[in-house]
Amino acid sequence: MSGDGFSRRQFVTAGGAALVSGLAGCSGGGDGGDGGAATDTMSSADTVKIGVLEDQSGNFALVGDPKYKASMLAIEEINNDGGIDGKQIEPVARDPQSDNQRYQELTREFISEEEVDVLWAGYSSATREAIRPIINRNEQLYFYTTQYEGGVCDKTTFAVGPTARQQLGSVLPYLVEEFGPKIYTIAADYNFGQLSADWVKVLADENDAEVVGEEFIPLSESSFGSVINNIQDAEPDFVMSMLVGANHTSFYEQKASAGLDVPIGTSTAMAQGYEHRRLDPPAMENIYAGVNYMEEVPTESNTGDGGFVDRYYDMYPDADYVNEEAETNYFSTYMYKEAVEQAGTLEQPEVIEALESGISLGTERAPEAPEGETIELDGATHHVDHHMWVLRADGEHNIEEVTNRKIPEQFLSNTVGCDLTQEDEQTQYTPVDYFEEAE
Amino acid sequence: MVNGLNLAFQFLDSFAFVVLAAAGLAIIFGIMGVINLAHGEFILVGAYATTFAVTAAGLPLPVAMVVGSLVTALFGIAVERTIISGFVPNWIGQRTVGRDLIEPLYDRLADSMVATFGLSLVMVQSARILFGNSIETVGTPFGNVAYGEFSYSTYRLVLAGVSILVLVAAYYVFTRTTFGTRVRATMADEQTAKALGVDTERTYMLTFGIGSGLAGLTGALFAPVLSMQPTLGDQFLIEAFVAVVVGGPSVVLGTALSGGVLGAVSATVTNLTDSTTFGRIALLLAAMLALRFLPGGITGFIERVRSRRQEGE
Amino acid sequence: MAAESATGADRGALARIRGRLEGPNTVGNSTGFWIGFAVAVLALVAYPLVGNGESFSLFLVLALLGLSLSLVWGYSGVLSFGQVVFFGVGGYTFGVVSINLPDPTGITAAALTGVVVGGITAALLGYFMFYGGVRDVYVTIITLVSTMVLQTFMAQTAGSEWTIGEAALGGFNGMPAIPLLELGITGVVSYQFVFNTLELFVPGLGTVEVDPFYYLALAALVAAYLGLRVLVNSDFGRVMVAVREDQDRTQMFGYDVKRVKLLTFTVGGALAALSGVLYAARNVYIDPQVFALWFATLPVIWVSVGGRKSLLGAVIATIGIEYFRLSVQGEMALVVLGALLLVFILALPGGIVPWIAGKISGSAVPVSELDDADAPAEVSES
Repeated sequence: MSGDGFSRRQFVTAGGAALVSGLAGCSGGGDGGDGGAATDTMSSADTVKIGVLEDQSGNFALVGDPKYKASMLAIEEINNDGGIDGKQIEPVARDPQSDNQRYQELTREFISEEEVDVLWAGYSSATREAIRPIINRNEQLYFYTTQYEGGVCDKTTFAVGPTARQQLGSVLPYLVEEFGPKIYTIAADYNFGQLSADWVKVLADENDAEVVGEEFIPLSESSFGSVINNIQDAEPDFVMSMLVGANHTSFYEQKASAGLDVPIGTSTAMAQGYEHRRLDPPAMENIYAGVNYMEEVPTESNTGDGGFVDRYYDMYPDADYVNEEAETNYFSTYMYKEAVEQAGTLEQPEVIEALESGISLGTERAPEAPEGETIELDGATHHVDHHMWVLRADGEHNIEEVTNRKIPEQFLSNTVGCDLTQEDEQTQYTPVDYFEEAE
Repeated sequence: MVNGLNLAFQFLDSFAFVVLAAAGLAIIFGIMGVINLAHGEFILVGAYATTFAVTAAGLPLPVAMVVGSLVTALFGIAVERTIISGFVPNWIGQRTVGRDLIEPLYDRLADSMVATFGLSLVMVQSARILFGNSIETVGTPFGNVAYGEFSYSTYRLVLAGVSILVLVAAYYVFTRTTFGTRVRATMADEQTAKALGVDTERTYMLTFGIGSGLAGLTGALFAPVLSMQPTLGDQFLIEAFVAVVVGGPSVVLGTALSGGVLGAVSATVTNLTDSTTFGRIALLLAAMLALRFLPGGITGFIERVRSRRQEGE
Repeated sequence: MAAESATGADRGALARIRGRLEGPNTVGNSTGFWIGFAVAVLALVAYPLVGNGESFSLFLVLALLGLSLSLVWGYSGVLSFGQVVFFGVGGYTFGVVSINLPDPTGITAAALTGVVVGGITAALLGYFMFYGGVRDVYVTIITLVSTMVLQTFMAQTAGSEWTIGEAALGGFNGMPAIPLLELGITGVVSYQFVFNTLELFVPGLGTVEVDPFYYLALAALVAAYLGLRVLVNSDFGRVMVAVREDQDRTQMFGYDVKRVKLLTFTVGGALAALSGVLYAARNVYIDPQVFALWFATLPVIWVSVGGRKSLLGAVIATIGIEYFRLSVQGEMALVVLGALLLVFILALPGGIVPWIAGKISGSAVPVSELDDADAPAEVSES
């Protein structure tokens, strides 16, 4: 173990000094590329080391386990197909148990001892933030695949899940058109929920709709009687729900038994935690999910014979569901493969450069992602222009497609102007600073 | 008027949640001096057993709930015999090395916390290994009560009724039955009770069984409305502990009163500020203030007032 | 020790130091113990050469938290779930101040401020409880509730209005952009401890690179341990133990029990805050999970397993349990951990270190190290 330690420390001392001075001034300058110049002989080995840190126990196990499984599926498929540039992938996976402290320690271990070439880690944004100092310090190529609030502009981080603006932006306009302009927002009372609620206000303004009420519920709450009453009092045309976590699942059960049947648009329910499979019908009736993927998405590459869903259950017959994030883990692994083959090397700065040149899936070169159509990784913002769906659950919890279209990542590219090909950064932007309506 | 009804229903909802969360724990803590950090996991057993009884065995929901509670009670007795009283390990110890292996955990607050914490880790992870990250839920029975533009799930109101029934039943058992008298005697003075012929060992075992059964009942009752995951017990823990300690030494009356007070605070603040977060914080702060200004909890305070008044006469 | 000749002066000084450090309230009062202690410290100093100092420093930091609970609980009988409150307050204060003053002087001030604010918070909560006559299990629950209040509150501080100066509290996602720990005075002398490497020349091994934060944490831990030993073996320490053993009797003897508990609680709070400051500095991050029930229970677990009446037990158990917890893999890991805790506490209710100490020194074990059952819960009777 000490042998590995010495070579890593030489690498880090060279780059670390430059990086540290850059970080301390928060200038984001200091070309990280120089630090990577010190050749690390370990990673030019015959295998590609992919680090996967996903929750298989703890609070996020329900949504984290499919991510792990999907990554393993992608890795196995690529290996069977000849690997990346002829090199087999060696997965390095541990269970962080939904514990941010463990995430930090395991990330350190993966980077300094295992020396992974790329890292997939974390479900919640808090996890991403917890490991960000370590990622930034080591300039580790990192894929964050969960749907999240958006706004991360970071040189080595690729947040390839759909952002709140993309998700809400797919379902909200449809619901305004279908049902009317009065919206009531209920959201989990923490960063993601609050920022999503801000986006609802921005989108409402863009679609001539109005938010007639907003309510934030702590993550630990599981009694929704007052929330239901407040919704009934406000009489909205539809509700936007960004409830998160096991305790909030009870809302759907309780609203059904209270007889509340207002349509509900959501970015968080069904696609991640497959409530429509777990709760008794008709709890999820008339819930409209605005997401890039659900297991039921009707594309050839997904539900067709031998498609993604078939292959997933072939490998994991006892799996419960293929959730939204699983698909993102899956296709981003393929994007990584494309980038490495394009760069011709495993060196992370070069791979990042290749990713920034724009990687697409669903072209003649690269197979279609299960969410369908051609999706592009936007090099400047490190986000993906997703193929967004609006999917509705009926009284028996069957999922039907309502509408779908491509939605690019707009916030960082158009509003903020984050361009990581020009300038290194490590920031997260929020809509409040850019939109009056989000106040 | 309509908003008054809202508040009333929300209060009942809150009251039921606190009382049912605390019931089993109050008995175990109040009578045996054992802090059961695995209380949430006992609720888990009840919830899962009930759910499986419906989905796998096809039993009707009320029967399944009874099954769920019984399963948890039996499990509780098993835990009591092995870990809490150490009966089984000591039995083995006597026959192998000729001495007791472990001490009972009664009245050992800190040690019972560590032991039950370890137990809870084992239970949650075992549930995850055996049953996966989630299991299918059962639907909520009954419909809803509509009034004006509002409606409330009838089942939630039924829960409020059940929580009152539980309190009444517990009161009856503890004050009107021989068993209840034996329990109170053991609680008050174990040595004297033993001297008078009370089988204290059996009493403790049965009490733990009843406490576990009540926790199981909570799980069974809430099974239709919760997400069935191994971590579902967590949401009850804080309310349970706070209510038990705020309630004070009298098990039944204490739980009822603290359920009422905490439920009222939570419902009122939530209603006034339209924020569940502040309702929750208010509940917690109310608990802190109650513990600070009413030493011995609510019923402890009542006792002191009563005895002081008696002395004054 | 009354008459010391000139030649015996050195021995006198050493004996005086040892006299302060030893007493019936701590395990290990023999020369053998101190030799073993020195060996252990040297081993820890040498550890980064063979193991991963960067990872291990976490356990040293958490050991400070364990020590704080051992002091408060093991030595004055206050079972506090709230050590993590002061831990978190210390960490967050460090974050807020250091983000606003990101130069070495500011960061050093931030560290000190974190400790002071943590101590003040403990003093306030302690005053609220002890001077209100709250005792025993009610203290425990109040401290537990206070962690819950902070967790619920901090988790929703996500919006931009929750900013102190330049520092956003960050809500559930945690406080971002904490500066790297660089202690000293700007422009005069400063050193960066976090995310830095220190080159040392070790005879026999050549130049090695180690993590300076590890040594900072180790120094803090050793200093805290020795400092607490002096404290608990002093006259004040005897009063603390008297309060733990029988509060009412001590009160009747004329000691101001409330003041004793308040002082102990404040020192414990400051120590927990120091741990929190180092934690936030090491991770360059802190989030409301430090106020969660799980993390609030961990110190109780560590100290119970190690032996709450033993400072050394707290340190060893914290490091051991956390190391084990972090290394185990596989789905049976948590089951094994839970089972181990269960077996340990049933088999060795007084904790590991007092048990070992008892074995080593035979039957002549001082009274304060015996594992007695807790004081009665005082719940079942008014």
